[in-house]
Amino acid sequence: MQFLSPPGRQLAALAVLLLCGVAVTFTIHGYELLLVCFVGIWAMLGLSWNILGGYAGLVSFGHAAFFGGGAYTVAILSHDLGITPWIGIPLGAVVGAALGLLIGAVTFRLKGHYFSLAMLAYPLALIPLFTWAGWSEVALPLEREHPLRYMQFSDPRIMPLIVLAALGAALWICLRIERTRLGLQLFAIRQNELAAQCAGIATLRVKLISIAISGGMAGLAGGLYATTVLVVTPLSVFGMLASAQALIVSMFGGLGAAWGPLIGAIILVPAAELLNATFGGRLPGMQGVIFGLAIMAVILFRPQGIYWAVRDHLAPRGRVPADHGAPSEEAAVPHPEYREAPGEPLLVVRGIDVRFGGLHALSDVSLEVRRGEILGIIGPNGAGKTTLFKAISGVVPLAAGSIRLEGQPIERLSPARRPHLGLAHVPEGRQVFGDLTVEENLQLGTTALRDGRDAGRSLERCYALFPVLAERRQQLAGSLSGGQQQMLAIGRGIASRPRLLMLDEPSMGLAPTIVDTIFESVQRLNREEGLTVLIVEQRAIEAIEICDRGYVLSTGEVVMRGTRAELLADKTLREAYLGA
Amino acid sequence: MGYTGEIEALLQILAAGLLLGCLYGLMCAGLGLIFGIMRVINFAQGDFMMLAMYFGLTGVALFAPGRSWAFATAMAVACAAALVFYGLGALTHWALVSRVSGARAVDTADAGHTGQLILTLGLSLVLQNGGLMLFGSSPVSIPSDAGTQSWTLELLGGDIMLFINQARAFSALMAVAAVLLAILLMTRTGIGRQLRAVASNPIAALYMGVNVDRAFRTAFGIGLALTAIAGVCVATFYPFQAYSGFDFVIIMYAGVVLGGMGSVGGAFLGGLIIGLVQQLSTLVLPAQLQNTAVFVVFLAVLLIRPQGLFGRSVERA
Amino acid sequence: MTTITRRGLLGTALAMPAIVHGTARAQSAPIRLALLAPLSGPFARQGELMRTGATLAVEDVNRNGGIKALGGATLELVIADAGANVEQVTSAAQRLAADRELLAGMGAWASSFTLAATEVTERAKLPWITLSWADTITARGFHYVLASSPPSSRIIPAALEPLLALAGKVAGKKPSTIACINDDTAVNQANMKPLREGGFEKLGLKTVMDENFSVPLSDATPLIQRLRRARPDLVLLGTTATSDSRLLLQTLTEFGLGQGKVPVIAPSANFGTPEMLKNMGANYLEGVIGVAGNWTSKRQAALNADLMKRSGEPWLIQDTLSLYGHVALIADALERAGKADRDALMAALLATDTTEGPARFFLGERLRFEKNGRRADAVPAVFQWKNGKPLTVLPEADAEAELSWPRPG
Repeated sequence: MQFLSPPGRQLAALAVLLLCGVAVTFTIHGYELLLVCFVGIWAMLGLSWNILGGYAGLVSFGHAAFFGGGAYTVAILSHDLGITPWIGIPLGAVVGAALGLLIGAVTFRLKGHYFSLAMLAYPLALIPLFTWAGWSEVALPLEREHPLRYMQFSDPRIMPLIVLAALGAALWICLRIERTRLGLQLFAIRQNELAAQCAGIATLRVKLISIAISGGMAGLAGGLYATTVLVVTPLSVFGMLASAQALIVSMFGGLGAAWGPLIGAIILVPAAELLNATFGGRLPGMQGVIFGLAIMAVILFRPQGIYWAVRDHLAPRGRVPADHGAPSEEAAVPHPEYREAPGEPLLVVRGIDVRFGGLHALSDVSLEVRRGEILGIIGPNGAGKTTLFKAISGVVPLAAGSIRLEGQPIERLSPARRPHLGLAHVPEGRQVFGDLTVEENLQLGTTALRDGRDAGRSLERCYALFPVLAERRQQLAGSLSGGQQQMLAIGRGIASRPRLLMLDEPSMGLAPTIVDTIFESVQRLNREEGLTVLIVEQRAIEAIEICDRGYVLSTGEVVMRGTRAELLADKTLREAYLGA
Repeated sequence: MGYTGEIEALLQILAAGLLLGCLYGLMCAGLGLIFGIMRVINFAQGDFMMLAMYFGLTGVALFAPGRSWAFATAMAVACAAALVFYGLGALTHWALVSRVSGARAVDTADAGHTGQLILTLGLSLVLQNGGLMLFGSSPVSIPSDAGTQSWTLELLGGDIMLFINQARAFSALMAVAAVLLAILLMTRTGIGRQLRAVASNPIAALYMGVNVDRAFRTAFGIGLALTAIAGVCVATFYPFQAYSGFDFVIIMYAGVVLGGMGSVGGAFLGGLIIGLVQQLSTLVLPAQLQNTAVFVVFLAVLLIRPQGLFGRSVERA
Repeated sequence: MTTITRRGLLGTALAMPAIVHGTARAQSAPIRLALLAPLSGPFARQGELMRTGATLAVEDVNRNGGIKALGGATLELVIADAGANVEQVTSAAQRLAADRELLAGMGAWASSFTLAATEVTERAKLPWITLSWADTITARGFHYVLASSPPSSRIIPAALEPLLALAGKVAGKKPSTIACINDDTAVNQANMKPLREGGFEKLGLKTVMDENFSVPLSDATPLIQRLRRARPDLVLLGTTATSDSRLLLQTLTEFGLGQGKVPVIAPSANFGTPEMLKNMGANYLEGVIGVAGNWTSKRQAALNADLMKRSGEPWLIQDTLSLYGHVALIADALERAGKADRDALMAALLATDTTEGPARFFLGERLRFEKNGRRADAVPAVFQWKNGKPLTVLPEADAEAELSWPRPG
């Protein structure tokens, strides 16, 4: 994120941009001046949307509620009470903020898509309500006596300048949010709301503050819209199009950065207008087709939006540290008394790198799993253990290195293909299909089975290993206890009769007695059926005790490896990782 | 004696709500499959339905021997539309939606949601305006006898008379049949199991060796197929033009969320409830506020039961 | 890829001023008139009907030697799309207003569109003619706006009065109860306002039902069910969308109230469109009475036949006819003004007072305008469906057919 970028540079960019806007205003005429107003208004709505949708990841389909609230405040005050937009527009912002608080207080109970779609309902419920109340078209009356007092300037440049000033303020607020605590907190909520809460962030309060700011900004945009267009109808300010416009300019321009919506509006609003002017009279419909195709094309090639695409293009190396030396086995520090274990290698991982942005999650990791053994990977939190598993399964892409299963390279195969070659990944946190029954979960486990006719026998084997699952075969997996879910996850993993079973933190969140049962069943599978097992664990001692060999992973690198006896005997290891 | 009028009104409006609700339910089932399984918000769903309406119109114009056979032909064309739109859906997914979502983006921060949102918004614009250029601006409908005829039911010796539009009644039956088929497909077959697994946890499904992209493609195809059947049915009694899809898409989303994501039956019931609320609200509220009532009920249900009426698990993060 | 995109954007940015100025730089000889109408979006059909009328009129004026007072200058139509919402209307109007060579404009169908468009054109002092009904259009003290249709506040009472009288003659008893179903668009609500505020009483009608609905209607059953129980002598259906019109009419038929059992009066031009016939079928429309701002006249039979042939429409409705009339009116005013100047044209337009020339394209005898720009003594057109055609029945001087009223029982 850009929290660390120098604020001075951004402020300078903002000032330059506004000056350019002012300069443009003084070089163009009537109709183009109106375009400046619309660019500014929609950019503001996009900015307002971006505070929730971009920073906090709370995608709202109902920003028209705030926008329309502001627009109608101006229109009704002006039409029914003769109150000037000079007062109406700030009041519109207040109404937008108040609506934001009200709607937020009610709707923040919902998460994810439920939140997004619930937001859709507010403006849509308001449309018939406003028509019913008799406000189906409200025109701001023409004031010949006191044009200035009612913002009806004879000089067409003044309105765009006011809009630009408001836009500048909105942009400044957004840039500030990005650099303050609020921005960090919103970003934390976007990443993981629960974790943010655990870290002591009062998430509801933070979300309410941001929806109030967002609503106020949208209300301000709506008020300016009413003053520019002069006629307000429910459909034009509360309609789906207004909400969609906010979404389109933000996402097209780039989510999560204040410059995104601005860029989106600067490109899209004039483009749409140009298309309307070109085709509207001659080939109606063509403008919509071209506009739609253009949006689709840009998103297909640059899904993250223009701003981020340009940033990546301009500074491709600034974000990723320079490459380091070639991968080699020697990079890992072998234990002094390490001996090759018997058995031929089943899975060979050589020198793999995984990067998330500029961060090295794994660097130059190599390991070998030999047929018939239980191999443990231990290490502290954040060592990259789960990432290693995901890399083997193909869910995270490799930056370098190779993975071979029985001598066959698999690193280019799709993740769905790999289980068919004999990999079974039992993910961290079990990840059973909660809405499906136990039996259906196991049946899904047989997807990668070579011969579909063996499915029945495979299931029986699982039930024999974990009798408790047999008792609950028709129960929904989501209703099982944690231990039973773990058994189901393992059962689902072995149902495909894999060559290699990969267990990611099977003991996580389970009581010690259940952990023992599970470890015992893993040993049984290994002993009785010769199943090769790769196991990742944080409970290092228990894990090492069931393993034949082990690797120690720390900050993305293999720092030690050895047999069970060697690892258990190593003093530094015990102190550093096993906490004993 | 004084109440027969009220009872008649109640029954009549109940019937209307049920018939319309079944069709809403079918649309919702289609969208629910796509939304529930892929978590893709397809803004173009209504516009695909509009295409299906024109497909139905063209089919009937080509094959119906006369006005009296038009409705039966339309039902046959609806079945054909299901096949054609399955293909169209799979193609759309392969060519567009899968480029920004699905397995490619399954482990990214927003699972590709941003991209597909705006992608389907763009697609919606293209379909609406392309439809205008292709089909013209005049509202059209499938002319049929059934569309303008009704059965009369007399209860209490004629004190209560109910009128049931034939096209709507047959369409409702068609809708129920299609949804039952879809439910069977989802619960009784291996494909259905895979689809539900992908809906429940796409990453875990990937670990099982389920081809998530193919599952998504199937879901997108079936989703469009169901909505296409609904489109042809609606076209038999509702004049439409290129922008008509939009009239339904919001109702569809309300129904899907109301029913709870991830289950075809739930989405159907969600749509049915929307239909009933929309019509029954007129007994106590001005007809103008029909849709306000729908959205108020929608919000109320969501706030009391955030997972929807028939949803089991809460949305994953 | 990035470079291509960037170059593409740059190209677009450069092309824009070129095109904007390109329209303005076209030859200066012809007289440029603007038409602003919804050509895309859900109202595209209405816009198309308007464009047809304006285009045909321009063709006719030019074929007949153009504007003679200006040395045979030809007319040229500049068409802009009003799209689906007020914002698009405003930018389109601004775009037109920026074109200094435009002499006058017409449009933009829905009254909210016209209100927004004229807010712009008034400031640019561009003469503007509209067929929109809303009273507000001519109630803002504007100097450059003409409205050729009767205003909302007068249109229904003026149509109902002769209808009720006739009904009394035919049936022996004047209808005394009325049920109203209207959509919630501004125009239909404006039409209803004076009637709700004592208008019905003055006509001797009692309102037994008055319901509004939102566009689009999903099902007409609740409304028609209520209507059936209210047992009115007469129904008023105010709709904007063809789908709503068809749903209401069809449900009326299903409930055994259609085909004249309860007379239907629809103050909506969309009830008389060819697509209504296509979607409903002739027998379901028989007898339905519509009210509009303009309709075909028997005095214009020859012209109508010619226009029908050239437009490809089976008959002409308000939007096409009025736009034809608007162009004719501007041409006439230009002849009288004698110079291509906005102010002179506006003065000539306001000074129009004739029963000849452009007056023949509007119903009623005389064409003249009040100070506020509203057509004085404008009469509503009343049409009735007869054998699959909506024929003008009132005013009598223009009537193509005799008004019929269903006999009770």
